Amino acid sequence: MSFNKALIVYRKELLEVLRDKRTLFTTLLLPLLLYPLLIVGFNAIMARQTGILEEKGGTVAIADSIQNEVSRRIVEEFVKIENFTFLPYAETSQSLYESKDIQSIVTLRDSLAVDGLTHYLIGIQYDASNERGRLTYDKLKENLRNSETVIVKNQLQLAGVNPNLTEIMSIKGIDTSTSQKKMGMILGMFLPYIMIIMLLTGASTVAADLVAGEKERRTLETLMVSSVGRKEIVLGKYLTIITLGMLNLIVNLFSISFSLRYMLSQQGLEISGAHMPIKAIFILLAAMLPLATLFAALLLSISTFSRNMKEARTYEQPIMMVSMMLAMISFLPAVELNNLMALIPIVNIALLFKAVMINDYHLSHLLITIGSTLVLDFFAIWGTIKLFNTESVLFRSDDDSGSIKAVKMNKQSFFNPYYGIVYFTIALIALYYIGSYIQLKDLKTGLMQTQLFIILLPPLLILRLLKMNQNQILRLKLPKWKEVVLIPFIAFPAAILVSLLAQLINEVFPFPDHYLEQLAKLFTMDTSLWMNLLLISVLPGICEEILFRGFMIRFFEKYGKVWAVVISAILFAAFHLDPFRFLPVLFLGLLLGYLTMRSGSIVNSMISHALNNGMALLITAYAGSSFIKPLLRSDDVFHYWVALPALLIFAGALWLFHRITGGKECAE
Amino acid sequence: MINVKHLSKEFPKKDGTKLYAVNDVSFEAGDGEIVCLLGVNGAGKTTTMRVLSTVFKPSGGTAEIQGWNILTHPDKVRENLGFLSGDTGLYNRLRVHEFIRYFGRLYGIDDATITKRMDEMVNLLDMSDFMDKKIEFLSTGMKQKVSIVRSIIHDPPVMIFDEPTAGLDILTARNIVAFIRSCKERGKCVLFSTHIMREAERLADRIVMIHRGKVLADGTLEALREASGQQDLDDIFIDFVNRNTDEQEVLAHEF
Repeated sequence: MSFNKALIVYRKELLEVLRDKRTLFTTLLLPLLLYPLLIVGFNAIMARQTGILEEKGGTVAIADSIQNEVSRRIVEEFVKIENFTFLPYAETSQSLYESKDIQSIVTLRDSLAVDGLTHYLIGIQYDASNERGRLTYDKLKENLRNSETVIVKNQLQLAGVNPNLTEIMSIKGIDTSTSQKKMGMILGMFLPYIMIIMLLTGASTVAADLVAGEKERRTLETLMVSSVGRKEIVLGKYLTIITLGMLNLIVNLFSISFSLRYMLSQQGLEISGAHMPIKAIFILLAAMLPLATLFAALLLSISTFSRNMKEARTYEQPIMMVSMMLAMISFLPAVELNNLMALIPIVNIALLFKAVMINDYHLSHLLITIGSTLVLDFFAIWGTIKLFNTESVLFRSDDDSGSIKAVKMNKQSFFNPYYGIVYFTIALIALYYIGSYIQLKDLKTGLMQTQLFIILLPPLLILRLLKMNQNQILRLKLPKWKEVVLIPFIAFPAAILVSLLAQLINEVFPFPDHYLEQLAKLFTMDTSLWMNLLLISVLPGICEEILFRGFMIRFFEKYGKVWAVVISAILFAAFHLDPFRFLPVLFLGLLLGYLTMRSGSIVNSMISHALNNGMALLITAYAGSSFIKPLLRSDDVFHYWVALPALLIFAGALWLFHRITGGKECAE
Repeated sequence: MINVKHLSKEFPKKDGTKLYAVNDVSFEAGDGEIVCLLGVNGAGKTTTMRVLSTVFKPSGGTAEIQGWNILTHPDKVRENLGFLSGDTGLYNRLRVHEFIRYFGRLYGIDDATITKRMDEMVNLLDMSDFMDKKIEFLSTGMKQKVSIVRSIIHDPPVMIFDEPTAGLDILTARNIVAFIRSCKERGKCVLFSTHIMREAERLADRIVMIHRGKVLADGTLEALREASGQQDLDDIFIDFVNRNTDEQEVLAHEF
């Protein structure tokens, strides 16, 4: 590969990009104009509006049912509030309040408490959804506090007690943070989010143009017949995207900090110490750069995959949305960067950003963040070069062989990956909306209906509709008895390993309490163990297996059996809509897929699935029995040492299974 | 020179079947010779040329350009090859001289040589008026001239033209035809494709007829006339197609 040629491509792309008015506008001009307008303008308007509101004041009706010296005193103090008008309560007051002609109704009542003191109950009726209402309430409350102090002091004096008794304690917080740290904390909340999004927008404005745009304008072939290699093309374009992303980021950072400082100085706030130290800026840019490369590689692969710019823009949306959600982590209080968090892309940068802003970060986190992002980046760029070398992707054209019409002509073509993803999406949406709705009404029948009508029935109907051989497609055939004998020795240890994996995850990311309650509800639905076994073990064992190991797996078999197992397992894990259980379920899905593909019979994975789910139930039911008890800790979860025998039995049984199933259908 | 041996190219379709765009195609083109790939739309001409220019990898067989194998030395193949088609896209935001220099640099030519060759071509094609203009403001004819200079800036011994006059007006098309002739005069090996019989008749030293990915006939116009017993190239072509396929009606419809 010639780096020199990649640089020639890079220089040309940059020149072209910088000549594009649209790109110039979004990456340079917009941020330079937007923040001053947004921050300074918004601030000015807000200050002015608050002033207007104060000047407007309000009108308050007072119903004084006490009419003693104290209550009169309270009312007198009220009247001193500037810009406010006070009226005695009348019959029309309530309707005036409804029509917003008056902002508040104050009622004064008294009651005699057991200790002989008169208590004054002051009700302030106001509309909290209305800014003027809130302002009125705040003013009245503040005024009442002052009145209270004065009145209490008076009474103390009358009783011959030193009135300063009310002020024997004075609290003074000593803030050790510098103004720079304070600003850092505020900036650390929202700046990471803005920066990550800006990096992505800057990169995405050019990414779609760079390959998909070239396809659209028919220049890609011109470039490819010249002597530049594909790797060089990819590298040149990749550098262009990184540059634009970083440029957008820097321009935004500059514009934001300039506008903020201007705003703070306008408000007369101390800003002498509140500037971002040069060191922090360098650390942030050093951390943002790997993220820029990751985004560049992802966007470039999308651009390469897409037929035209419109398509590329569409495919960019999910990346945009996921990034936004991950970046929002910086808004959450009390989430701090640790070694594990530093492995999650985007989240790590957002948290690192926050930590750097208050100058409270560890070098190890910085290094892990940069390192893990670079590893991902490497895979993404490797994938892009692969894509660029795949003719069927680079010259993807409209091909109607996957259309419904084509499926009618050739039934087998129904099972293509595209339809697989579409079907999965529809099933997932049905599960989420319909499934959760019927389960909310009644958990037991809801679960049953979900399994039968959402999971099992549609695949069977589709196969019937396409007039396909259900038994053959779904691999519905009796397994050999030797296989069935081995299944419990695979399924039970696997279930233990799965639950230990879940436990391990629980230690790192503790499950929220409401989540555990939800799960417990599932296991204690019915008093009858048999009913529970049917609902939790047998039905899912049959229905979910038909869907995933019978039906879904078929869509991906053109990638080879291993990939079909892997993809169906990923979908299976995703289908459980539960990030905490993703890994355990993924492991289970891989195992079940292997069992079906290796033996050619889905019955093996059905039994295995049912045993796995059933075991959790049995453990709960028989936790106290002498057989199970030694395996469990006091909190009814397995001891970690159980993993060892489980693993040994599992591996041994799997090895035997693999040996006796060396038939035609081999997965691994 | 170009040497194509048993070249095949198939494309997978979504339903798992395969489309054989090029099926066991063999032919040669020597230096100072103009060879025409003649066939209807969808015959496999463009796919053949894309494989020869290393944009596609062949599914079977191989080919050599100036002695370099397209599979083992794709970079050498591209260095020895100039490729031009009727709708080759240009970078609209670049100026003409920037565009030509960009490709010159990609071929690894030093700036002085690029300038020298560019000046020669500019005089030859009468382009001096618009060298500083951005490409987006050029007319079709001007753009085609820019494409010509782009394709020849590295002075390749082999030129491939894929439907070079498709979609061009008569005046622009004439420039291309003249350019193809001048390539032959300079001893280059030229391969061009067309579905227009007259163009093949006028330009080609030898005609390779291609239909549904297969070569039907290969020879000079005279030899083809003799073999088919027809005078007109249209008739010769239909004659060969009919001899090789049972789908006469389809073809009658296509013409």
